[in-house]
Amino acid sequence: MTSLAVARNVLRRILRDGRTLALIVILPLFFVLIYGNSFSGSYSDLRIVVVNEDNGLASVRTAEVGRVTLTVDLASAFVAALDPNVFDIVILDDADEALEWVGNGVWAALVFPKSFSNAVVSEAVRASGERKTEFEGNTVTILPSEPVAGPLTKLVIDDSNPLVAGAILAAFDSAFAAVLETQQSSVTVDSLLDASRLYEGEIRMLDFTAPGIIGFAMTLITVMLTAMAVVRERTGGTLTRILIAPVSAWQVTLGYTLAFSLVALFQAAELFLVSLWLFDIRFIGDPGAVILVIVLFAIGLQGIATLISTLAKNEAQAMQFVLFMLIPSIMLSGVFWPLETMPGTMRAISYAIPLTYANAALRKIMLTGHGLGALSFELSVLGAIAFVTLFLSILSMRRQAYTA
Amino acid sequence: MAAEQVIRAEGLRKRFGKRTALDGLSLSVSRGQLYGLVGPNGAGKTTLIRTLCGLLRPDEGEATLLGWRMPSTRVRSQLGYMPQDFAVYDDLSVMQNLEFFGRLYSLRRAQVRERANELLNLVELTDRKRERVGTLSGGMRRRVSLAISLLHKPRLAFLDEPTAGVDPKLRRSFWDHFNRLAEQDVTLIVTTHLVEEAQRCHVVGFLMDGRLLTQGTPDEILTQTETTNLDDAFIVLQEQGQVKS
Repeated sequence: MTSLAVARNVLRRILRDGRTLALIVILPLFFVLIYGNSFSGSYSDLRIVVVNEDNGLASVRTAEVGRVTLTVDLASAFVAALDPNVFDIVILDDADEALEWVGNGVWAALVFPKSFSNAVVSEAVRASGERKTEFEGNTVTILPSEPVAGPLTKLVIDDSNPLVAGAILAAFDSAFAAVLETQQSSVTVDSLLDASRLYEGEIRMLDFTAPGIIGFAMTLITVMLTAMAVVRERTGGTLTRILIAPVSAWQVTLGYTLAFSLVALFQAAELFLVSLWLFDIRFIGDPGAVILVIVLFAIGLQGIATLISTLAKNEAQAMQFVLFMLIPSIMLSGVFWPLETMPGTMRAISYAIPLTYANAALRKIMLTGHGLGALSFELSVLGAIAFVTLFLSILSMRRQAYTA
Repeated sequence: MAAEQVIRAEGLRKRFGKRTALDGLSLSVSRGQLYGLVGPNGAGKTTLIRTLCGLLRPDEGEATLLGWRMPSTRVRSQLGYMPQDFAVYDDLSVMQNLEFFGRLYSLRRAQVRERANELLNLVELTDRKRERVGTLSGGMRRRVSLAISLLHKPRLAFLDEPTAGVDPKLRRSFWDHFNRLAEQDVTLIVTTHLVEEAQRCHVVGFLMDGRLLTQGTPDEILTQTETTNLDDAFIVLQEQGQVKS
């Protein structure tokens, strides 16, 4: 009976606490919705560049009318075979320019040589023997001919994200297969391609996820610590005592930021060193750039944590609000699953998560060795988040003293 | 010549939801006065103090402290506030608590040390100054809190039940100290539930339902209520207050 009384009391107190009650109901729903929506499974908006120099013609020898030229347009057929929902295809004229774009917002570049159609058809006939085709209303027999020497189709792929690279290659394979099928060919794709990987396949799944996991660990610890500390300071009455002294809210906020930035930097150093030492994660970039990213990221996190502490009446609530923030952080920031696999609505949330930018910036530095110049977008967003949340947390700090 | 008015409050009104905590309250306290704020639980004493300090914004009315209209940041360095809860860092030592809050008032390290030692002497915690506050008893923590509030020599101090849980001997020495501070022109607003403490105030204000029912020297209150001790006087006042509302 006593246990029942205890249980009744616990439940009654939960029911009294509107915010906790709301969190109990909403949190699981939130979790499932994000989970369900973020694994749509299919990719979209993968940007690739195609340079189509193929003249679309195939010159073949026939048994009936001698050498004729067929119009087959196989490179265009290949492009048409790519799913427009998956790929965002940019057509360029300049092959060198196209190859340069890879790794800078473009996942892959394909350069079809002038003789692409010709090469495919002649290879096909050579491999599978003579066959019939329609030519100017008549059926003609194409005869196998000498192999055509010519440049292969050039493919460069950004393999910094092994998942995306794998998905792109698979899609290309099936598009090529569809094209070759029209030519009844048993030719393999590989014999047509001069494929290269930007990072030579050196980036493992571990390397790819490491920056995000480190960022997530920082999010977890920094937000939790800061939110708890501020809530405790408020509920313990010491915040009132601080703010009634001749100090301003910005001085207090800055003090907090300074202290927790140091903690965050220490944590980050620990995370990086242990990851490097135990798992030899890829880190080819500038450590200074990493520190800059970490500091901006940490300030933003603290700002968010201070805002959370304003909403939370007590430490238990603060904890739940932190969870609210952490779930989308790990699932939607592209740590495990690329943003490109998420449906638009989920991706909109991704763009509101600081970890999305920290992860992208850290990957650029650690995996691909990009310098600060390539990080201007991520750094400006992280900087803006840091600035705005710091400003808001100063306001919230001031408010907290009055409501304490 | 009338003494300088250190606190002037006009028509303060503050509501929390449906409950009226301050109901058009006006108050003035002159310099060097030891002002005792008494009244039943929930009378609005803490709300009044928090509003005067600028920690709560009144819905109506205004308050002026040391010539500054509240809320003002200028007045803060001269203001002492001891909240009813302990408001100390349990995980720091007594001395570390004092040092931290002292630094907030831009006192130099040596100054803080000196003042801290004086006040630790007053609250009789000199031999415990290296101990963590969390290990001290409730009464001792309150003493730490009082020391923090007086560290920067405020000209005006609000002390919300400074002696709750403090033993009688020390309580008496606290009040000796309050009287000494008042002699040095420090103005103190002290809330209390104890008659013998109210007795030692220059002026006592009796608060009920967010209104100041009466105010005067302890003798004046006795005369007014036709009683012989403040205990009876407060009961009479409380009953009168209930009849009115």
